Amino acid sequence: MPSVLFGPALRILPVGLFALSLQRLFFARHPLHDVKLQFVLAVVVAAGVVGGPDRGAVVGFVFGLLYDLSGTTPLGLVALAYGLGGMSAGYVHSRVPEPQWWLAMIFATIGAVIGELTVPLAEQMVDDGGWITARLLEEIPVVAVTAGLMCPALMPVCRWMVGVKRKKWKVITE
Amino acid sequence: MFSSLSRRRVILLVVLSCLLLITLDKRGNPVIDRLRGAFATLVMRPVDTATEAVVLPLERAWNGIVNYDEMKRDRDNLYDQVQHMKGNDVEAQTAILEARELFAITGLAAQLDFQSVVGQVVGESASNFQNTVEINVGSRRGVKVGMPVTDGAGIIGRITKVFPDQSIVLLAWDPSYGVSAQILATPEEVAEEISTRVTTPSGAFEDEVGTTTSTTIDTRPFDPPDPARTTTTTTPASTTTTTTTAPQIIRETGAIEGQGSDQPLIMRFTDSSSAVTTVRVGSLVDTAGGNSSLAPQGIPIGTVTRVVTETGSSNAVVEVTLHANLRRLNFVAVVLYEPNPEAIGR
Repeated sequence: MPSVLFGPALRILPVGLFALSLQRLFFARHPLHDVKLQFVLAVVVAAGVVGGPDRGAVVGFVFGLLYDLSGTTPLGLVALAYGLGGMSAGYVHSRVPEPQWWLAMIFATIGAVIGELTVPLAEQMVDDGGWITARLLEEIPVVAVTAGLMCPALMPVCRWMVGVKRKKWKVITE
Repeated sequence: MFSSLSRRRVILLVVLSCLLLITLDKRGNPVIDRLRGAFATLVMRPVDTATEAVVLPLERAWNGIVNYDEMKRDRDNLYDQVQHMKGNDVEAQTAILEARELFAITGLAAQLDFQSVVGQVVGESASNFQNTVEINVGSRRGVKVGMPVTDGAGIIGRITKVFPDQSIVLLAWDPSYGVSAQILATPEEVAEEISTRVTTPSGAFEDEVGTTTSTTIDTRPFDPPDPARTTTTTTPASTTTTTTTAPQIIRETGAIEGQGSDQPLIMRFTDSSSAVTTVRVGSLVDTAGGNSSLAPQGIPIGTVTRVVTETGSSNAVVEVTLHANLRRLNFVAVVLYEPNPEAIGR
């Protein structure tokens, strides 16, 4: 029971709510060159980087659901997009045996590109289209790069949230 | 949660869940709508309130970094606006004061039997040895040499030079200035001698007939002294006649001269046996008029501030302080009174 109560499932929710609230109250109010930075997506891809594709997908799904519930998008749409973003970041990160911090930033950026790009694509598919425009060429790089830049700062929180420990390498002496 | 399922199954579960939820929501599921409402009200509102406390300093720091230039511009613009408003306020206050001054001047000029021209002081003498000011009305407006000049308080001097649109006014405290003047009774005596008598047509007391009585005492000290002024007020109930008896004014005539800047004027009596006892400190002085005078009768000059009796003589020299403040002249009125040319030449 305690492992369930204090496990990752219960840690994801408060972090997600706080991230969503921060997104609504701060990042949505202060766009950068008219692009609203996606803090929730940044947390999702950081979780993917530290926890792998499965944890990234679950965190993306939960955070996306919260996002959908607080907004007007169809329930599950952002969840799908962020789930894919978290999974992608975790997948590319897992392909490198000993990734450096700057590699983590790049993987987070890749995951953010996929996550942010999937939202208008999915909206197009469910007939809430009109978002696939040339403006995406400006929005997606800004969102993805800022998510990548925020990744190192968010990684410790995400490790605690998804319940993984930092890898420690031991020198094997002969 | 993560260890119980294989990686592919987790991802597949996530994707399928999303597709299911999207389908349900697009078909208009009421449960999802209620869930949204409850989430916004019960969950996000308290969380937002708590987050606001964290976000506020963050937001201020962000604004400081990102919007510093804009805020500085706004602040500068607002500062400019405040300065403009202060300037406008000062202009408005000045306009009010000037209007009051003009009313006072025109009010005094209206008491005289002569027309007057209102002008504004536009310059002062650059020299320390000329007590003159320049005003912006001249011969085009009928101004001539010798005419008396007043402000709201009383006489300030006379015209000495006239140009088409400007004139030079010799101020009253200049040693070369002189005008015939008269001393009237002291204000204390005037106050003592005023008696008010109220009568009603029926001869009854006011309280008994329920009438309204108003008494008007005209205290203008420089009007020609009528023996009695009567003011009649008609009310629906009855007619009340109020009679004010004017004081017996004693006149002592003489010539008044300037003594230099900020010095009181000196008055010497025409009759050496003037009743020194009747002239007291506080007596009012105005122009005496007459054929040889530079000013018509009744322009206020000032107040007696000192009476000096010469030793071994009954002659008295009286110091008169001007009503007008010659240091703060702005609007003035030139009384279009043409004095005797001989008087001007003196």
